[in-house]
Amino acid sequence: MSEARTNQEWLHDLNASGATQEAAIADLRDLLLRAALYFFSRNPGDFERNNGDEITQRAEDCAQDALIAVMNHLSDFRGDSKFSTWAYKFAINIALMAARRERWKGVSLDELASTGESDFLESKIQDHSDGAAPEASAMQGEVRKIIQAVIKHELTDKQRYVISMMVFNEVPLDEVVRHFGTNRNAVYKMLHDARRKIKSSLQEHGFEVGEMLSLFGSSG
Amino acid sequence: MKSDRFERWLQNIYNTQDEELSCSECFDLVSHFVEVELSGTDPAVKMPKVKQHLGQCHACHAEYETLRDLQRLENEGRLPSLDDLQNLIH
Repeated sequence: MSEARTNQEWLHDLNASGATQEAAIADLRDLLLRAALYFFSRNPGDFERNNGDEITQRAEDCAQDALIAVMNHLSDFRGDSKFSTWAYKFAINIALMAARRERWKGVSLDELASTGESDFLESKIQDHSDGAAPEASAMQGEVRKIIQAVIKHELTDKQRYVISMMVFNEVPLDEVVRHFGTNRNAVYKMLHDARRKIKSSLQEHGFEVGEMLSLFGSSG
Repeated sequence: MKSDRFERWLQNIYNTQDEELSCSECFDLVSHFVEVELSGTDPAVKMPKVKQHLGQCHACHAEYETLRDLQRLENEGRLPSLDDLQNLIH
C-alpha cells in the first residue's frame, strides 16, 4: 500500500514501467484524491451551490491534474520531506484554486473595485476612534490620512486595485490572478510593493509598529 | 473590514520585508517546512522566510495549514479513507 513506500521506493516505482508503475500511479492518485477531498471537506462554504456528486467529480478532476503535475515535477523532489507531503501540496494547491473559483464564480471584481476604498478605509478606522481619547483619536485620523494618501498618490493603478480587492473586499489571491491573467507571484509582488510603500510612509511620519498596534487596540 | 482584520493588516504592513519569498518559492519549500514542524522543531527558526510569507499570503497559508493537518493525520495513521471523505461532503 502507498503509505508503506519509502521515498526511494516511490521514485523507483513511479519511474518504472509496466505493472510496477501502474500500481504506484494508482496509489499516488488515491493519495491526491484524498488530499483534494480533504481540502474540500474543510471548506464547505466554497461549494454551497454544488451537490455531493459534483464536488466529488471536482475532486477527481483536481486529483488528475495534480497527478500530472507531480509526474512532471518528479525530478524536483529533493527528499527533504516525505514523498506524500511533497505530493499532497500539488493536490491541495489545485483544489484551493478550484474551490475559490467556485465560490467567486459570477462575481464581478470590477464592480467590487468601484467600492470607494478611501471611504471604506475611513469608515473602518473611524470605528476605532469611537470612544477613544481625543489625542488617540487625532492620531488615528492622522494614520488614516497617511494610508489614504499613499493609496491615492503613491500606488500604481494595479497596486491600488489589488489592495482594494484583497484587503478591503477579501477577494482570494487566485481570483485576482485570474482577473489579471497573470500568476500568483506577480499579484503577490503588487501587494508586497503596496505594503512597502504604506509602511515606509507611516515610518517617515514617525509611526512605529508598537505604537500603531496599541493605538488601534491590538494586543500585537 | 472588521476591526480585527484592520489590525491584522497593520501587522502585515509592519511585518513587510524589503525582500520576501514569492508564492512559487514558498510552494517549493512548504513541504519541508511542514516536515520540520511535525518533527517538533520550530520551523520559524529554521525557515523564517517561509514563515514570513505564510503570514502575509492567505492562499499559501491555507494550503500550508491543510498540508500540515493532512500530513499529521497520515503520520498518526488516521488518514481518512476515500469513503469517509466522500461522506463528509455529501
